[in-house]
Amino acid sequence: MKNKKKLEDIPFEEYLRKLEKIVQRLEEGELTLDESVKTYEEGMNISKICLEKLNETKKKIEQLVIEGEEKYSTKPFSEKKGENTINEF
Amino acid sequence: MNNYYTESKIYTVSKINKYIKNLFENDYNLQDIWILGEISNFKLHSSGHMYFVLKDKESQIRCVMFRGNNYSLRFAPGDGMKVKVRGDVSVYEKRGEYQLYVKEIVEAGKGELYLAFERLKLKLKEEGLFSEEIKKKLPLIPKNIAVITSSTGAAIRDIITISLRRFPNLSILVVPSLVQGVSAAQDIAKKIDFLNKHLKDLDFIIIGRGGGSLEELWPFNEEILARSIYNSKIPIVSAVGHETDFTISDFVADLRAPTPSAAAEMTIPDKNSLINNLTLLKSKITRAAKRNFELKTENINSLCRSLKYQGPENKINQYYQYIDEFSARLNSRIKHQIELYEERVKKDVQRLDSLSPWAVIERGYSVCRKIPGKEIIKRLEQIEVGAKIEVIISDGRILSKIEKKEAVSN
Repeated sequence: MKNKKKLEDIPFEEYLRKLEKIVQRLEEGELTLDESVKTYEEGMNISKICLEKLNETKKKIEQLVIEGEEKYSTKPFSEKKGENTINEF
Repeated sequence: MNNYYTESKIYTVSKINKYIKNLFENDYNLQDIWILGEISNFKLHSSGHMYFVLKDKESQIRCVMFRGNNYSLRFAPGDGMKVKVRGDVSVYEKRGEYQLYVKEIVEAGKGELYLAFERLKLKLKEEGLFSEEIKKKLPLIPKNIAVITSSTGAAIRDIITISLRRFPNLSILVVPSLVQGVSAAQDIAKKIDFLNKHLKDLDFIIIGRGGGSLEELWPFNEEILARSIYNSKIPIVSAVGHETDFTISDFVADLRAPTPSAAAEMTIPDKNSLINNLTLLKSKITRAAKRNFELKTENINSLCRSLKYQGPENKINQYYQYIDEFSARLNSRIKHQIELYEERVKKDVQRLDSLSPWAVIERGYSVCRKIPGKEIIKRLEQIEVGAKIEVIISDGRILSKIEKKEAVSN
């Protein structure tokens, strides 16, 4: 559980940097066979994670409704003109 | 007449003008002052300098604004415009006319706001609210963003449209707020505070509105909003008005976007190009790993080859071959030798044969030998009449007695 949480905390750009480093290391061609197999697998794994990260959010357009100092709710946002909801505290 | 003046009291025109000019310039009441009036007789010279007259109901003053000062004007001055101008009153010696050397023109209506803007800007800058070091970085892939703006304006539509075009699975929280009028700044500030308190996992907040007059954009120049942006733990993107509009919010925010649309362009990544990039990296990895593997295989193969070449098996084979060659050579050598010997023996035998007395005897000759003694008789004197001899012929011997000796004369 802890591990999984940690994985989610690492931002996409960090994975991307890792991936670029892996490409570089592999292209330099100075790895042992073992290392290059491991590095390759790591690269494939990271690119999978990256793709997952791109797809993990869902499209959601919502509108915040503030219902007091501490309370709020959300409702779907409609772009219809004239539906002017100005929330006062 | 001579009593009225002396030579030393006679000025030249330029001298007196210079003197008067000095008076003007040493009077601080005439330096760097603001004058309110209406522009009239405005002329923009081809040199870039502006000439006009500033007047009110009763009076007027000549003004000049040099190119170096007027290029940064935010509006085009024209006749009839009510303005506030800042400058120094001095003398144009060539004509002996005093005039205002203008450094700055502000439209009169906006003057107060403009000054307030400048004052606040300076104050907050000195407090460090604009400092680059405190600006927070936005994540490359935002998951949840909030937009504080009018829910009915073009700004929110533009932001949503562009954001979703770039990254179709994005979560956008619209936080409707006032964006103009006296309570707008407070409204936006409160909403920033609220989001910081209750929706901490937002990646960033865009605040903004579309273009408008300076008054309409004014909430974004208010201190309360500036402070709220500064205090926000969530990064703030300020997107107010058009490219040319700069607000205090823009300076305090972690990122300034020239327009609301630009805010979406700048903060939301293009998912397709990200995926393309990933695909490219992936194929690079595969290619590089494959190449590595091929290189290693080739290495092993070449090692195997050289191992085989230098290993014992090869040596042994080489020796085998050597031995084979050697024994073949040996064989042929010996065979040759034997043949030579055979040949020689054959020859010898032949020669021996030809020399053998037996061969002569075979042909009908005979040998006489004394008995006893077996001495071969070659001359008459060796033998006496009556002695016994043996005559050897090809198939045996004949015992004989000498009857007579007769010499052959020749």
